Amino acid sequence: MIEFLQVVLAGIVILGAVATAWSRDPFNKLICLSVLVGGVFPFIVAGGYLDVAIAVALITPITTIFVLAITGRNSDGA
Amino acid sequence: MLADFIQIPIAAALCWILFVAVDIVFRLPEKGGVKGATAIGRKIEEDGGALAGGTMMGNIVSSPDASAGTLLAACGVYVAGLPGGLAAAVLVFIGNRICHDPGSAGTTGAVLASVMISGFVVLGFAPENFIAGMVIAILTIQGLSHPHASRLLARIWGWRH
Amino acid sequence: MAALIALYVCGLIALFAAIRTVVEPEPYRKLPYLNVMNFAIAGLIVLILAHPLSILAAAAYFVGSTLEANAIASTRAAVMEND
Repeated sequence: MIEFLQVVLAGIVILGAVATAWSRDPFNKLICLSVLVGGVFPFIVAGGYLDVAIAVALITPITTIFVLAITGRNSDGA
Repeated sequence: MLADFIQIPIAAALCWILFVAVDIVFRLPEKGGVKGATAIGRKIEEDGGALAGGTMMGNIVSSPDASAGTLLAACGVYVAGLPGGLAAAVLVFIGNRICHDPGSAGTTGAVLASVMISGFVVLGFAPENFIAGMVIAILTIQGLSHPHASRLLARIWGWRH
Repeated sequence: MAALIALYVCGLIALFAAIRTVVEPEPYRKLPYLNVMNFAIAGLIVLILAHPLSILAAAAYFVGSTLEANAIASTRAAVMEND
């Protein structure tokens, strides 16, 4: 991976982490968390661990849906 | 063989026309597929946009439609040529079924896009420029100004309707 | 490297969309910007590593993040209806 991408993706990860800590609304927190995961994902792929990447891509949304369901607010089932 | 700086805008324009045309033909602006899409459409209308365009943007957010099909078909053609594009179409169909969607718009878009991009690769275009072009195309719809984009989409929907 | 210009375009658009996602206060307006970032990241995955499985990784990432956005928007719509 070229240096430019390392800087840009690290910027996205740090931005997502700070915004997740900063935001008050629970939905905003989940959206900023998915910004963070989006920044981490290309690093996993650049290491060549494509199987790990596929597993992370499938587990992250399931985690979000569980968090929404645990708070008793997911009525759509999607 | 054109230079990359000329190829990327041409690819962006072609991808824009393709995915907007397929989405309009499959009646995406008519109604929100899920509650969230309708809510995003109403929010964009409150901000000064048009409801039909906002609903279409909500549908793009909440299920993989022709725009996702075009991007993944470009990725498939970049990796493995025309068979890769068709494999990406199958993946888009599975993804559509996961998101409670009929899956017709996404699959049609992916098949048309893989045929179009393979044809342009024969003409001397590089397939990675279509990936960049599709990212630019989605940026113009979803990322710059929601009211303007939704009004433009609503005007195009008016011609079809 | 052949795909260098496409990489720069995707990286810059991902950064731009991430900044706009973070700065925007209203959740419904955040989601389209997040969608742009997902497109850019899915394109980057294939451009970084051109391997047959990376199509599957890009599709899995894109479908997963779409599902996530769908769940967040629908849940928020349901909460707003109840209030």
